[in-house]
Amino acid sequence: MTTRRRSTALVAAGAGLALLLSGCSSDDGGGGGGGGASASDVPGAEVLDDLDSAVDVEFWHSMDSTNGQVLNGLISEFNAENEGRVKVTGTFQGDYDTTLAQHRAAIQQGDTANLIMVYDLGTQFMIDSGQTVPAQAFIDKDDYDTGDLEDALLNYFTVDGDLRSFPFNNSTPLMYVNRDAFEEAGLDPDVPPKDLAEIREFAEKLTVRGSDGQIQQYGFGAAVYGWFVEQFMARAAVPYCDNGNGREGRAGEVLFDDPEIIEVVEWWQSMIEDELAVQVGRSTDDAQAAFTSGRAAMTLESTGSLGGFLEQSDFEVGAGYFPLISADDPGGSIIGGASLWINGEGHSQEQIRGSWEFVQFLMTAESQSKWHAGTGYLSVNTNGYDGPEAKERAAEFPQFAVAAAQLADSETNVNTAGCMMGVMADSRMASEEGWEAALTTSDSAETAMTKAKETVQRKIDEYNDAVG
Amino acid sequence: MLPTVPTPTTQASDRADGDAAPASTATTAARRQIPSASRATGPRRETMLAWGFLAPSIVVFLLFLLYPLGRTVYLSMHGNDIIGRPSRFVGLSHFEEMFTGEFGKILLVTALFTLGVVVPGAIGALAVVLLLESQIRAQRFFRSAFVLPFAFSVASASVIFAVFYNPASGVLNGLLYQLGLGQVAWLTSTEMALISICLTTVWMNLGYGVLILAAGVGSIPKEVNEAALLDGAAGPRRAWYITIPLLGPQLFFLIVISTINALQGFGQIHILTQGGPVGSTTTLVYSIYENAFAYGTSDFGRASAQALVLLLMVLICTAVQFGVIERKVHYS
Repeated sequence: MTTRRRSTALVAAGAGLALLLSGCSSDDGGGGGGGGASASDVPGAEVLDDLDSAVDVEFWHSMDSTNGQVLNGLISEFNAENEGRVKVTGTFQGDYDTTLAQHRAAIQQGDTANLIMVYDLGTQFMIDSGQTVPAQAFIDKDDYDTGDLEDALLNYFTVDGDLRSFPFNNSTPLMYVNRDAFEEAGLDPDVPPKDLAEIREFAEKLTVRGSDGQIQQYGFGAAVYGWFVEQFMARAAVPYCDNGNGREGRAGEVLFDDPEIIEVVEWWQSMIEDELAVQVGRSTDDAQAAFTSGRAAMTLESTGSLGGFLEQSDFEVGAGYFPLISADDPGGSIIGGASLWINGEGHSQEQIRGSWEFVQFLMTAESQSKWHAGTGYLSVNTNGYDGPEAKERAAEFPQFAVAAAQLADSETNVNTAGCMMGVMADSRMASEEGWEAALTTSDSAETAMTKAKETVQRKIDEYNDAVG
Repeated sequence: MLPTVPTPTTQASDRADGDAAPASTATTAARRQIPSASRATGPRRETMLAWGFLAPSIVVFLLFLLYPLGRTVYLSMHGNDIIGRPSRFVGLSHFEEMFTGEFGKILLVTALFTLGVVVPGAIGALAVVLLLESQIRAQRFFRSAFVLPFAFSVASASVIFAVFYNPASGVLNGLLYQLGLGQVAWLTSTEMALISICLTTVWMNLGYGVLILAAGVGSIPKEVNEAALLDGAAGPRRAWYITIPLLGPQLFFLIVISTINALQGFGQIHILTQGGPVGSTTTLVYSIYENAFAYGTSDFGRASAQALVLLLMVLICTAVQFGVIERKVHYS
């Protein structure tokens, strides 16, 4: 037992060193960075044979309440199937930001989890910090077939032609409508508005005033949410940051002062000024409340909110594609959410292999059917939609199919892949602040978005300096 | 290896939560040192014994106050790598950066927030206590009712107010609507957001203020009140000339504590506005948090520099309050 452990530790140290070295020597020219382990560094399934006891895999995630329960169900199922081989322990670490902050602290202390869930905005940071084994290395080692996985998801997490992490809990935003309000206003709820001009047109009919002139129902109301800026840009086929959305080289500046986005912000301003939209600020909770309470007849939200909307609204909820800026935009959709990263640095071969086995289990059609039906997240595996749980859910609530259809309709290109940048979270926040400033101060949309771009520039420069 | 990784906010919260404890150990340490120093010629054993007794408090003091403080100074002069480790010496540039409009705005918001919490808080608590002091029915009930907010955690109080302020379906706007009045953008306009946060904080602090001042009223000697009554001072006159002056020590304590608390206020801002809209509720503490932890950044250098400024502000405020106000306080 003791000798065995020691040799395991030696192997682990060797693997860690190899990863570190390959991380250092890897080409830094593109959006990539450290962590360039190849298939030969990845342990095969044989390391899990003949173990004295199951290898422990610690999994840090950000799923609580309903989503957490579904995830825990999947973990138990996996542990039961892999008794004596792998035992996964999932720990809820707080929201995405907090989990990443914990992970940073863990890197400093050399005590990272085996498997960690990181939001989309953290992708470039995860690559640069060089702690993980790229997803591609596992795929190459096992000749794992990615044919069944959703292209748009793979596209988002692929950098320099290599898949960096495994998509897991992902969503896209949709347009939600109050079907009852549509019918009362004489509109067809099966044909929700497709672009900004149409939303305005519909909102004029959907805004209802009482006899005292006070507004009882606004046509539209959505959160000032930076993710939507990214969506609008992808749908208008403009990149969010330079150097091919940070995928051809390090992103050096953000482009959300693009005329297309100025147009969106100006449109938003006029909707509020003309009392067609309620201003709910940056809080998505407040925007959701505006919709479910019937104060706003149309809203924008993630697919992940559909379950909550169906539960909390006392009207019929409809869903449509996220709007285009203008009718002739090509469309396309960016995903959001998080992906799974397997840490290599400081972990044994058995743990690395164990983590990969667990990820494979999560990506099966069976698991994804349960995951999608239980949470509303997209199915990573396209066959997941044909699973019994997913089918049952789709029969009950056809709205669930809209997100998958929107994604299937979306072309995978550099714009829909989204921007890869180390300070993406700061950038999303800056875009929100600029947008909000245009709504709440005397700044014009153009001034506000340009100012916001400048505030994020310092952070981009500092980040790029820090990673060299 | 030390058990905690010092970060600006652990340093700040050490001060917030442990304010009474470390300060008292420090003063006891100082008091004990005087006799042992004056008896330097005494037996060596006694000195050793004294140090033995002092050791635990000195260790705690060094570990949880001096070390984090020193570390904060060190961090404030360093830039960070992407993981948050200090990676390069930058001298005083983080402090130089503060002489920009951006940081001035943060200080202004902090000052307005502090004033907007301390002044109405003290006046409100005083008003409640004076009203309760007069012989009204169900006095106990009202006293408990007013102290109740003290029992709420910052998080739950903030969530309750979030429901009140909700722009689309909030309770307050609902009431205004019923009354046929216009709607107020409680948290979504740059003018109102800070006021709304102050209101929330005043409500949260009210219970504590009432508790402190009510205890003060209870400790006013009966004879003083009887003498005042005999002299014909009742109602507002008695309140103004007798009760309020005699409440001096409690009011002073309340102002000092609530100033420190306001300078360190975080939870309500985080839950209600996240510093927005457009930075109109970004106080110094919130800015420290944003630099150090929010949005996937870990700029501990800038955050530490700001934390030192906060420390300085708390020191100055407290010193001024002790220097100016305390002189006017009457300790019986």
